[in-house]
Amino acid sequence: MKRAGSILIPRPHREDDFFIGWAKPPAVDRRFLLGAVPTIAAFSGGLGWLVANELADPGAGSWQTSSTHTVTGQLVRDPYPMIRSVDPNGNYKTTLVVAMGKCTSSLELAMAAGGVHTGTGVLIERRGRHMLEVPFDDAAWLSPAPTNVTIPDVVSEVVIESISLQGMIMDTKCFFGVMRPGRGKTHKACASLCIRGGIPPSFWAHTKDGREVVMLLTDENGNAVSTDILPFVAEAVEAEGSVVRSGDWLQFRVATSKYRLI
Amino acid sequence: MGHQYQAIQWNKGKVQYDIAIVTFAVIYIAIFMAVGLMAFATSDPIVLMIRALGTCAFLLLTFILLIGPLARISDRFKPMLYNRRHFGVFTFLVALAHFGLALTWYHGFGPLNPLVSLFLSNQSGGTFPGFPFELLGLAAFIILLLMAATSHDFWLNNLSAPVWKALHMLVYVAYGLLVIHIAAGALVTEKSPVYPVLVIAAFGLVSGLHLITGLREAKNDALLNKMEAKSWVSVAAPNDIPDKRAVIVPLPGGERVAVFRDGKKISAVTNVCRHQNGPLGEGRIIDGCVTCPWHGWQYRMEDGISPPPFTEKIATYNLKMMNGMVFLNPDANAPGTYVDPLVIGQTAEQRS
Repeated sequence: MKRAGSILIPRPHREDDFFIGWAKPPAVDRRFLLGAVPTIAAFSGGLGWLVANELADPGAGSWQTSSTHTVTGQLVRDPYPMIRSVDPNGNYKTTLVVAMGKCTSSLELAMAAGGVHTGTGVLIERRGRHMLEVPFDDAAWLSPAPTNVTIPDVVSEVVIESISLQGMIMDTKCFFGVMRPGRGKTHKACASLCIRGGIPPSFWAHTKDGREVVMLLTDENGNAVSTDILPFVAEAVEAEGSVVRSGDWLQFRVATSKYRLI
Repeated sequence: MGHQYQAIQWNKGKVQYDIAIVTFAVIYIAIFMAVGLMAFATSDPIVLMIRALGTCAFLLLTFILLIGPLARISDRFKPMLYNRRHFGVFTFLVALAHFGLALTWYHGFGPLNPLVSLFLSNQSGGTFPGFPFELLGLAAFIILLLMAATSHDFWLNNLSAPVWKALHMLVYVAYGLLVIHIAAGALVTEKSPVYPVLVIAAFGLVSGLHLITGLREAKNDALLNKMEAKSWVSVAAPNDIPDKRAVIVPLPGGERVAVFRDGKKISAVTNVCRHQNGPLGEGRIIDGCVTCPWHGWQYRMEDGISPPPFTEKIATYNLKMMNGMVFLNPDANAPGTYVDPLVIGQTAEQRS
């Protein structure tokens, strides 16, 4: 638009280049659009490639929904549901047990806890850590194991009395492979919901040489955590507590007051 | 023009327009999914789809917001402006898919209602890195929902053009919320520098182009302040008004008037289209009618009424010829008021 004295003169256009939606577009617009449409299409494709190509590694883990997995061992209810078995070399192998969805606290294991059972469900696996996803009804996934199978009780031992670690609290189910990535800010709400629903939380940290360390997170007494830790979930945190070995898992036992956002 | 309502108004041009925007989105999402799934063996297709839909909606909204200022800079972008409402509704549908999938996947299957979880699952409201970015996305989504729900001409007519326009200006609030939604969400998790660069570029382009075109308009409007309210405002010599087109007269108070010439006849109407406040003075005379450059709405230049069967009315203005110049009375007539056009070569006596 050009200014001339006290009036404004709109940009001039030729007789045939005024676009009206309900009329045939002018030749000059048709030519422009013939070039613009493929250009925008190519730009859209290029941008799709660029944005997807820059995504971070979603991390290890798998959720093997197309097959079922069977584990035989001692059913443990506290601090979190798990089946503890022993391999031929006498090493403990823990398989955490979670229900479908995000409501593991609804699993009724009181009657069966302590006994040796065979559990059947969907395997969730991350770097040798196993988890079994099962239906809510015990009868649908638990059956008595042969009587000759015995599992020695685990004796927990304190590895480090007091240590301060930096890392992130994650829900094990998503972190082990149900969601990839199952960590970070975009997963925070889901992780909070899972932990609120009773899915075991884990503490994810790295050693100085970059090695991943995943510990089962409990309160300072080795019991399930309370919902008080939810504000710290999926954030970079520093936590002070003790490290306890329980079978093949390390537990990080932390009082709620000992978490701090970094 | 709106003498009767249809659920969706399509013509050949709008169908081609809609096919083009759907194609752009499909290309973006298909390539995003293919690259994302091939990049890592453990990529989760549902998480990838949530991201593809979210970034696609942001890209579409960015493009929508660029069309306005681009059309001010070059007439070649006017065809993109023409069907922007369909573009907006389609963008809302992509955002709806993103919202629905993210709500189900991240907030569903749990001990809380997903909508309750949306408000409760992130309790770090007091810190920026921890801020619940989901709520910003929800607020933007509600604005887009309101805009999509009221996008039809039925609402434009019943809410009145100024209210409807004000409601739809909330798109800028939604865009700002989405920029923070991304900054406090995906950009905290994803570490590639490409993402902040892209978001800043998109935001910079949208705000920069709006700033450039806005400043240009403000510069033109600045002369308003220097003008004093007069009973008659000098416009131009009759032949200085291009045939079939208009000159625009800014009035004190911010109103603009379009003074059109059609051969020997000269008439003045408001510069604001009844439809979506389009700049009538940038349009032209077609079939004897003032034709809006945005969506082709038409008004007779002598009375400001849309030709039958349409009934829309805009304000007209009185003109007079004095010393070879066209003068405008800045007091608007009621919409639809007939005013005899000035006829070049006709004296005041002949006119009366």
